[in-house]
Amino acid sequence: MLLFFFMVATTSKESDPTVKVTSPEGVKTSDMTPYKQRSEIDFMYVGKPINPARARKYEEMGMEYLLFMDNVAQSTPDDLYSINAIRRWKLDKFESKPDNMRKPITDVITCIKADKGAPSGIIFDIRKELQEIDALKVAYAVRDNSNI
Amino acid sequence: MAKRDIPEINAGSMADIAFLLLIFFLVTTTMDKDQAYLRDIPKKIEVVITEPVKVEERNICAIRANDQNQLMVRKEVMSNPDDISERIVEWFTTNEKVNDVTNNFPLYSRISMDQINAGLSAADADLAATENTPNVSNDMIMYKEKVVQEWAAKKQALALYGKKNLPEIHFQAHIRIEVQKGTDYELFAKIQSEVEEALFTVRDNAAKQIFNESYGVIKRRYSLDEKGEDKAKLDLLKFLYPDRIIEVTPKR
Repeated sequence: MLLFFFMVATTSKESDPTVKVTSPEGVKTSDMTPYKQRSEIDFMYVGKPINPARARKYEEMGMEYLLFMDNVAQSTPDDLYSINAIRRWKLDKFESKPDNMRKPITDVITCIKADKGAPSGIIFDIRKELQEIDALKVAYAVRDNSNI
Repeated sequence: MAKRDIPEINAGSMADIAFLLLIFFLVTTTMDKDQAYLRDIPKKIEVVITEPVKVEERNICAIRANDQNQLMVRKEVMSNPDDISERIVEWFTTNEKVNDVTNNFPLYSRISMDQINAGLSAADADLAATENTPNVSNDMIMYKEKVVQEWAAKKQALALYGKKNLPEIHFQAHIRIEVQKGTDYELFAKIQSEVEEALFTVRDNAAKQIFNESYGVIKRRYSLDEKGEDKAKLDLLKFLYPDRIIEVTPKR
């Protein structure tokens, strides 16, 4: 019984980010589950690194908040956290899908899960990169605190 | 005839297997749903705009936040971000019934069915004329088709609205979110949340008046079953209170 409950009620994790993300709260959100089931959504994280040594290292470089994207092919660890990697990551993900199964890149959602304290400038930097490659749907992740 | 023995299956390990599976699902899955606000990024255009489009101040519902996380809604400083949604609702509804040019809220136009029909046939004729013109660009045809679709949408909306006139907010009226680079994401998300709440409130009020049911109910039913008349209902509500949101890229 328990087994079946867990099989039905839960969804699989998309990735385990190495940055810490505490989402802010909001009401009247839209549910991303249908998009996830059709894999029309890519997740991106903005937060401070969990590893304290790395957090210090990047802070010295003037980067308090870092990006984390899953499945970045062939990139150095430094590259992984830079704005420049977004385009390649997004295009790689798009091209790795078979032709007949993928939607046009304009319809693929990029869901940004950012930490409460992250500066909004990062969000707009990401938006600019997405605009360059015509991925025109973006979603700002929040925790829904309305009781419905 | 002797009854044949049915060999017994050893079920002793089944519990172990089920337990193992249970642990597997416990570890690899999460309960929480991903909730987010969907927004569109404007398409990149190559055309250089020499002169910016003039928009009347009454048509802009500007929500500004600076890097000190201080808020301003329509040039008025606000201390409590929870009040933003009320201001947006006010911005939407003040001139909805009667236009008052003296206040600073967007004006509504009200068109009757006859006007819509006239507009629709004019747009149709225009489309046909454009298609028959030699060497016309594809973009032009697409644009004219869009005009026809807009009129058809208005016709459908008014038929469903069930009143004499269809109120339409000024086509330039929009909600504008201006933040600075240093604004916390928490406040940015709060503004998005308030915008969404305001849109829900105004659409919910209209849904209760016109259809006698709540906006949330219609939306949920539509998400379960995309056929039926719910799409037209949602289109009408969206037409009355459009979610035109501009997120201005911060310069500093």
